Amino acid sequence: MAGRGKLIAVIGDEDTCTGFLLGGIGELNKNRKPNFLVVEKDTSITEIEETFKSFLTRNDIGIILINQFIAEMIRHAIDAHMQSIPAVLEIPSKEHPYDASKDSILRRAKGMFSAEDFR
Amino acid sequence: MGVSELEESSLLLDEKLLQFMDQLELLEEKRATLNSLIEQGWFSMSKARYSMGNKQVSALQYASEIEPLVHVHTRTLDSGDLGFCTERLSQSKESGKDVTSVEDIGPQEEGVRRRNKPKKNIKEKEANDKASGEKASEVIPEKQIDQNPQQDPLKWFGILVPQSLKQAQSSFKQVIELSAEIATLQTAVLNTRQELKNNMKDKHILQEKTSAALLDKVSD
Repeated sequence: MAGRGKLIAVIGDEDTCTGFLLGGIGELNKNRKPNFLVVEKDTSITEIEETFKSFLTRNDIGIILINQFIAEMIRHAIDAHMQSIPAVLEIPSKEHPYDASKDSILRRAKGMFSAEDFR
Repeated sequence: MGVSELEESSLLLDEKLLQFMDQLELLEEKRATLNSLIEQGWFSMSKARYSMGNKQVSALQYASEIEPLVHVHTRTLDSGDLGFCTERLSQSKESGKDVTSVEDIGPQEEGVRRRNKPKKNIKEKEANDKASGEKASEVIPEKQIDQNPQQDPLKWFGILVPQSLKQAQSSFKQVIELSAEIATLQTAVLNTRQELKNNMKDKHILQEKTSAALLDKVSD
């Protein structure tokens, strides 16, 4: 366990971010860049996508937690991410319960049993 | 020869498929636990908001300087998959603080203190001073650590926060640990899926070869 580990990033609604920050994952680095994004009603999809992509390119992030309803907005970006680091985890939000059928990872796993695989 | 190879690859495929199913089942279980823990956290947070006031638990209370208390370490597991594990920084420091606080609260000298000590006890006193001096030198580095503590996020919301907010914090701490486990499982699931795909392709190639060999035998 030598050296400093990686961070956990969050993209979520206010309560999700507050909860995880209470848990101690928050960081504001030297450039005052946070490892979290509080998505509000007026947050644009472009902003969410840019933040998500910036988290993907950061070397110090190991896991990205994202509310599933927000993940739905940027599904193409999540599906395009194939690396194992950072791992992307979809979590439920207060208004939107977790739906396994929408989860990128489980859909990929389900794809295992599509007709194409048996050819 | 070809048939036994085919059987072997089929067995391997079955084994991988069972492993894949086991991993998916475990992932589902952990997901269910994570979801219930998050719900519990939100519920506790809502209770805290009810007792503290609507605007008292929001993004506005975040500190201007935030230091992470949890880090994730990645390592390669025995199976070859990537593993994620969390490490909480504050735990060791908090336990260190606990030890010193207990020492500080207790009396430095046992028994009743005598203000006018006779000269006979001067040597003993010097010995005691030396001992306490050593104690003080031990305490100093810990005090230096205290000057720059990694602030508990709970303090952003006030000094005397309700118990429900502490419960919310502990729920989310558990969620963070669980999310590392889920990330490990997700990586394992995707790797097993890839292995299954490769094995299936190999099996198809073998099947084609054996069927071609059988056709050749029949034609001969």
